[in-house]
Amino acid sequence: MDSITIHNLKKSFGRHPLPAVDLEGDFAVGKGELFGIIGPDGAGKTTLFRILATLIRPDEGTATVEGLDIVRDYRTIRTILGYMPGKFSLYSDLSVRENLEFFASVFGKDIDSNSDMIENIYCRLRPFEKRKAGNLSGGMKQKLALCCSLIHSPSVLFLDEPTTGVDPSSRRELWENLAELRDRGMTIVVSTAYMDEADRCDTVAMMKSGKFLTVDSPSDIVAQFDRRLLSVRSDDMFRLLHDLRSMETVEKCYTFGDTHHVTLKDGADVSVDGIAGRLGSEYGHTGVTVREISASLEDCYMNLGDK
Amino acid sequence: MGAFGYLMIKEAKQFFGNPFMPMVLILLPLLLMLVVPLAANMEVRDVRVTVVDRDRSVLSAELTDRIFESGYFVPASYEDTYDAAMDELGRGNTDIIVEIPEGMERTVGRGGNAEIFIAANAVNSTKGSIGGGYLSSIVTSFSEGISGAGNSLPLKVVPQFKYNPHIEYKLFMVPALMIVVIVLVGGFFPTLSIVTEKEKGTIEQINVSPVRKRDFIFSKVVFYGILGIFAFTISFLIAHFVYGLASNGGLLEIYVSAMIFLVFMAGFGLIISNYSDTLLQSVFMMFFFVLVFMLMSGIFTPVSSMETWSQYVTYCLPTRYFVNILRAVCLKGSSFADLQFDFIMLSVFAAVINAVAVITYRKQS
Repeated sequence: MDSITIHNLKKSFGRHPLPAVDLEGDFAVGKGELFGIIGPDGAGKTTLFRILATLIRPDEGTATVEGLDIVRDYRTIRTILGYMPGKFSLYSDLSVRENLEFFASVFGKDIDSNSDMIENIYCRLRPFEKRKAGNLSGGMKQKLALCCSLIHSPSVLFLDEPTTGVDPSSRRELWENLAELRDRGMTIVVSTAYMDEADRCDTVAMMKSGKFLTVDSPSDIVAQFDRRLLSVRSDDMFRLLHDLRSMETVEKCYTFGDTHHVTLKDGADVSVDGIAGRLGSEYGHTGVTVREISASLEDCYMNLGDK
Repeated sequence: MGAFGYLMIKEAKQFFGNPFMPMVLILLPLLLMLVVPLAANMEVRDVRVTVVDRDRSVLSAELTDRIFESGYFVPASYEDTYDAAMDELGRGNTDIIVEIPEGMERTVGRGGNAEIFIAANAVNSTKGSIGGGYLSSIVTSFSEGISGAGNSLPLKVVPQFKYNPHIEYKLFMVPALMIVVIVLVGGFFPTLSIVTEKEKGTIEQINVSPVRKRDFIFSKVVFYGILGIFAFTISFLIAHFVYGLASNGGLLEIYVSAMIFLVFMAGFGLIISNYSDTLLQSVFMMFFFVLVFMLMSGIFTPVSSMETWSQYVTYCLPTRYFVNILRAVCLKGSSFADLQFDFIMLSVFAAVINAVAVITYRKQS
């Protein structure tokens, strides 16, 4: 059974010509699936979350969460939903414990009967129980926010960029927690701007300008990459970027860590050595290395939307 | 325990968790009621007078003495010419000039009339007019004294001031300050608290929970309403025991009107919070309206002394009715029967503003 279904969802703001969310067709998130949404800032990720979390109404289209309509049955949805906004939005003038108690009582629950769900996360917060939430570090705040959105054992969890501004080890911990929750059967929808995190999802939707460009498992997305991809280095990386972009066989060139990644145009009949040779002789680059590589998720992401 | 219960507990934890807020709650009525009436005093004392005595006679010296004996005036300087005295006035070293004409004693001795000239600095209009008035009455009584028998004028006016026998501005002011307490605690506090939750995004977390938004708003209004009544009680106790107001009872009238006004302020604050997304916005809006409420409704200056058009405006301000009720009950000992019109108008305002609050609130959500 599908946990979340979306049908032609559309939402515009004010007189802005382009809709913030414009999903044509049907999409579904299965029960117990870890569903990732990746996309640049302004892609419409947060708006989509807010629609699904029943905070705003869509202009057109319908969506269901656990079989409940997001407009008609919003009150029931709110009892089975956990939502963690991108911005820290707990009471900074209440202590860690008080925040947790408050959000438990909001859902008519108490902490003790629901503690197994959050125990793994909360054990790290326990030494700071009496501290005001506003005085926690960024990673601790995120942990507390996660605890508060899990305290009522929701069946669906929405996390809007949960790892933005969190250190790498806390990020890893958070993803371990999410995997654990998924294994318990919870449906989790998470948005992120980090590609390495997208790899941990069961399904990834790449989002841009309010639309899902692809929805697939990370391995299938990578497998579907149909261009030749080169990794290029030289001693003058800055000029190299410009020179590569000026070559007629190159479709796209972008920086990737300490190398440049280049995709070649369809049917461009050039060899790796041919490009390396031209960069040396025609453009005067030294220390040139060109290798043909297989695509990562980030390469797929960078080449989206040009099709 | 229902949703309302734990929302109230949350408000209380937030409010009392911060030591600053409870202190404000106590200090606000204390300072307002004890310090402000002393400072904001309209009584005129120690008016500085410059005397230009061009007569230099026994009679002119007697007149000068009489002026300074009164206790309202202090000598600033003695000048020879009016122009020199005017210079002093221009520099702000003196408030009033008294010019005694040359040959006054002689003229009066012959049975003629001499004119004493008084010039008052009216930049501070109260000081100018009241000081000038005091001074001319001193001169008049002095002239009665020298014109002989003292009963030369057959009619004498003996005024008696009812309800405020010593015409103390304090007593006029204190009921108005009790209103300020309700405006601040019952109106400002819940509005700012709602807008803070909007600004910080905590309202989002509440919105995705099963808690109804109206319970959420209502918990704040009720919580700060209770605090408002508490602060009002402090100020009422001070009004009663320090200033001796409401000595004839009227407790019920005072609290009923305070409750109605509190309901009005809560509804008003809700409208403001509906339309503002940031704290700054709401503070500005609130301040603007509260200033109009305060300055144009006869809280600090009598309505009867306003321009005609602004007298009509006061009918549109609920504070006018509330301050009427408080003054009438505190100073005159009036009861419900005497104040029907004010109570009805205040209730109408509370009902209308809350209806508007509910309508605008629906539109927003």
